[in-house]
Amino acid sequence: MSKSRILIGILLGIAAGLLYGWILHPVELVDTTPDTLQESYRMDYVVMVADAYSLDQDLEQAVIRLAALGPHPPDEQVIAAINYGIEHDLSQVDLESLNALAVQLRSLPSSIEVQSP
Amino acid sequence: MNRRELISLLLGLILGAAAGVMYSWVINPLSYNETTPASLRQVYREEYFLLTALSYAKTGELPRAQERLATFAEMDISSELGRLAQLSLSEDQPVAEARALAQLAAALSGFSAPVPTAVTATPTSQPTERAALTPLPSSTTAPNATRTPTATPGAPFVLLSSDTICRPDLMEPLLMVYVEDAFGDPVPGVEVRVLWDSGQDHFYTGLKPELGPGYGDFAMTPGVVYQVELVDGEYPVSSLETGVCTDDLDQPYAGSIELIFQQPSP
Repeated sequence: MSKSRILIGILLGIAAGLLYGWILHPVELVDTTPDTLQESYRMDYVVMVADAYSLDQDLEQAVIRLAALGPHPPDEQVIAAINYGIEHDLSQVDLESLNALAVQLRSLPSSIEVQSP
Repeated sequence: MNRRELISLLLGLILGAAAGVMYSWVINPLSYNETTPASLRQVYREEYFLLTALSYAKTGELPRAQERLATFAEMDISSELGRLAQLSLSEDQPVAEARALAQLAAALSGFSAPVPTAVTATPTSQPTERAALTPLPSSTTAPNATRTPTATPGAPFVLLSSDTICRPDLMEPLLMVYVEDAFGDPVPGVEVRVLWDSGQDHFYTGLKPELGPGYGDFAMTPGVVYQVELVDGEYPVSSLETGVCTDDLDQPYAGSIELIFQQPSP
């Protein structure tokens, strides 16, 4: 009888623990990197990089900034942002900025390697 | 339920809760790729602020900048942007970055910052290869007007007034510069050069948004003669020295100099 009580207690406890750990008091992440951002923030990050590039025309700086979003090639990241933008009705101005950056990134040698900041 | 059963249930609860918390915090915490900018490491956070400012400098869309910074609700964003602008200047980063940060800081402070001006204006490359690269929507015949930064309209700034300011609460005498447009509105992001016999320096208005978006200052050394000029100004202001002030005990101290520049009415 007491074994079944223990089992019931464990099951209830697990449920309570999961409720507490996932919902009531989930892990708070700090000191994260841009590659862990939610997709919408990551895509917006690429838009901002494209905006910055349209101002300074510094392609190397743009590549460095995109490297913070993960190991994917920078041009693929921008293309992904364009596709995301089309799906989510991003403005034409943003798409133009992304497109201009993508065009320039495509002209880079594929072997370029950049360390994130 | 007897005492023995109750203890068993409680024991089970404790063990289960420990297992549940262990699983949800350590073994399988909430996804690590669903974070917000607020959790970014400091260096990436500063980069995020800079990108937000540069994007604002390009588009002039303040609501969008505010939306991007919304996750930092607990921070004094304007002050942080001002600090980053000063840091950018001290590290000789591109001028456009400091200016963009200052402009956004001023705009977020509630001041009516003017449309971003053209120091950083660079013609955007034409998307000549678009067809080969991107699946842009077909309705591209009438693209939205892209904000092309243009020079601030109007004549160069001229000196409106120059006064000695006696403020014993200041730790050191300051060269206090206020820049206004033709309508009397403060103008952030204006570069101010300061020259003296043995050197020169520069700063920008708007780096201390708490003092106004058109304000900038420079610490003066008593006995040194300065010349001040706005990059967008007409004439330099020469022969500037700390003023002579006296405190409540009739003790002299070096006073600050206040310069107000304004654009003439068109």
